[in-house]
Amino acid sequence: MQTSELMQSYLVDANTWDEMYSDSSVREQYKNAVEFLEKLSIDDLNKREDFAKRLFMSQGVTFTVYSSGEGIEKIFPFDIIPRIITAKEWEYIEKGIKQRLKALNLFLKDIYSNQFIIKDGVIPAAMIYSCPHYLREMHNFPVPYDIYVHISGIDLIRNNDGTFYVLEDNLRTPSGVSYMLENREITKRIFPYLLPQSNVRSVTEYPTILHRNLVSLSPRQIRNPTIVLLTPGIYNSAYFEHTTLARLMGVELVEGSDLVVDNHKVYMKTTSGLQQVDVIYRRVDDEYLDPLVFDPGSMLGVAGIMSAYRKGNVAIVNAVGNGVADDKAVYTFVPAMIRYYLNEEPLLKNVPTYQLGKDEEREHVFKNIETMVIKKTNESGGYGMLMGSAATSQEIENYKAEVLQDPRQFIAQPIISLSSAPCYMDGKLKPRRVDLRPYALCGPDGIEIVPGGLTRVALREGSLIVNSSQGGGSKDTWVLAQ
Amino acid sequence: MERTDGILRMLKINYASSQDDTQEFSWKPVLKIFTFLEEEQANALAHDTRAVLQFMVIGKDNPNSVLNIITLARENGRSVQDHITKEMWQCINDFYHIMRQEKLADLFQQEDPITVLDNLIKQGLLYFGTTDVTMARGEGNSFISIGKFLERAIQSTDILDVKFSDMNYEMDKITDTTYWKYMLMSISGYELYLKTYRGGFEAKNVVEQILLNEQFPRSVIYSINHLHRYFERLKSEHNRSDYNQIDFMIGKIKSKVKFSTPDSIINEGLHFFLNETKKGLFEIGNKLNHNYFAYA
Repeated sequence: MQTSELMQSYLVDANTWDEMYSDSSVREQYKNAVEFLEKLSIDDLNKREDFAKRLFMSQGVTFTVYSSGEGIEKIFPFDIIPRIITAKEWEYIEKGIKQRLKALNLFLKDIYSNQFIIKDGVIPAAMIYSCPHYLREMHNFPVPYDIYVHISGIDLIRNNDGTFYVLEDNLRTPSGVSYMLENREITKRIFPYLLPQSNVRSVTEYPTILHRNLVSLSPRQIRNPTIVLLTPGIYNSAYFEHTTLARLMGVELVEGSDLVVDNHKVYMKTTSGLQQVDVIYRRVDDEYLDPLVFDPGSMLGVAGIMSAYRKGNVAIVNAVGNGVADDKAVYTFVPAMIRYYLNEEPLLKNVPTYQLGKDEEREHVFKNIETMVIKKTNESGGYGMLMGSAATSQEIENYKAEVLQDPRQFIAQPIISLSSAPCYMDGKLKPRRVDLRPYALCGPDGIEIVPGGLTRVALREGSLIVNSSQGGGSKDTWVLAQ
Repeated sequence: MERTDGILRMLKINYASSQDDTQEFSWKPVLKIFTFLEEEQANALAHDTRAVLQFMVIGKDNPNSVLNIITLARENGRSVQDHITKEMWQCINDFYHIMRQEKLADLFQQEDPITVLDNLIKQGLLYFGTTDVTMARGEGNSFISIGKFLERAIQSTDILDVKFSDMNYEMDKITDTTYWKYMLMSISGYELYLKTYRGGFEAKNVVEQILLNEQFPRSVIYSINHLHRYFERLKSEHNRSDYNQIDFMIGKIKSKVKFSTPDSIINEGLHFFLNETKKGLFEIGNKLNHNYFAYA
């Protein structure tokens, strides 16, 4: 059987924006790739899929599942058909993200100093102070270059007319960028010659840009500042990413116990004594960062690191306390922030969001619960949410009771259907829902976004949840040059 | 064998880089390093990735193709079978038969080139490993190592020369970081570079690592040090004057490289320095041939 038959048998879900098809014809940006794929047989495609799996395995892009005392290496599901974004779409996304990040950075600076945005009545004080990620410890501390969000992974989705919406901002320690890089390497291998033919922009600059930004944050004006990547350790699900980034940047990978603070300076233990650390790219959450200031039971952090940070002796990336801008209730105010700080209309739309802390909005949500998704404001990774359309009435009742205990900690959004993209599964081409996470890097010279990103896929039929912890996979994401 | 390894790695990384480029990728520098093509011939070939790979790996009319090198290596191996171990001979012979397979050409047409190249690189590694664990540390081993490090030193000078000639040896003309990244990757020096120099790419640092870093196994100084080390093992009572002559030549070039700094090299002229070094290395090679192998 030829792949062309696959293409013909591909059925788009009703009332959904499909990335490849519009009205049963292939979109312009996919034409080259489709033409290439149509020359292959199903056998060929299967072989390439197998090959991709083997490559992931041999490169160690795996996570370990422990059962009955034995570790089983699993790979994250990867779909071989790329997701393709046109130059025009990308230009719009890029502008939109830059605008949003600019406002969010200003917001963080403001909220940890003068709080004009509260005084001017744009955001209620209660909204900020009730957020557990709003950290008193960050008050009146000027972070280097006023940059809080050095790295962001804003999640974008598209509704049925193709409009982009921001789903989440991910301003703390967004992960997945190593998959953007690895997926591209895999595509190079399984579809030789296709990438340059299709005019796809390269993503390999990411580690170089990140490294340059990290170097520029060094508080000491020296030639070779010491930069480390602080990981929670080998049992963290993103450990592969930490090692990859450390290797690609040539920086030291450390755990909390490798660092020590003396006289408000951070040092790394090495075989030839202590070495002062200038910049820490941390992949440890705020609450575990410093047992003296936050969770006293934390074994992942470094005692005294916050004092070194506040003295300006070490730079921490991303800044501490970003969670307040990442709160799903504060998210509702981002368009207002863009208008307030930049005097511009937001380019990227927010998904309409109801705050369950407000009585009338909560009532409205409870009445229409089967069309809503309810989320906790401070959770991520797809945990602690309720899909109204898929839940049983018992689940709904239980969830409602939980909401009523502390309504501020919940928001609701109408279920947006997400765009679909073709996935190759069990010898067939099937539409699956996707989102897009471009990675933006903010340094003293401005914001840069590598042309590409991570496309996450909900692998289960009809599912709208793309998180890898909830059975999601990923695709290579192409941004075309013209 | 060392050249094969160098060529295959260079092809692999350059292919990967060609897949990453929205502009047309040029193979010209690679062709300049490893082939004797005329300018026009190289230009004609430079933009056809498939053709370059085939020409460099299985090109029968390219004296420096992997196929032809391995054929020669096998001929050599056959004639000195009593001096090398059986495992080594088999290893070279296997490699030869793999290179002779008809289907190799098809593989380059249809399959992922990196997989094909990787498999060939592994054949070479098998040879290096087999030599290391089976070969007695006698004269034969010394000659193998001398050849290996002489070739490596020449390759590294060549690579540096061609890559810098691309930008007319203007040291501050480094703008494209991917250019240097892929170059360093092709000689397995990228990770070391990142760890040594934290401040991004500078021509001076690249020059320093490839010429003067004693810990980098593909640097010129490392190769010459090892060349010298293995040569010293050939010392015997019989060939005093010949030995001393070559020992002097190696010692001279070694101290010339060792007591240079990136600044002094650039002041002197990088191209000039590389050329002189290369000339010295060729002279050593010729002299070795003359003294130890020629029927005079």
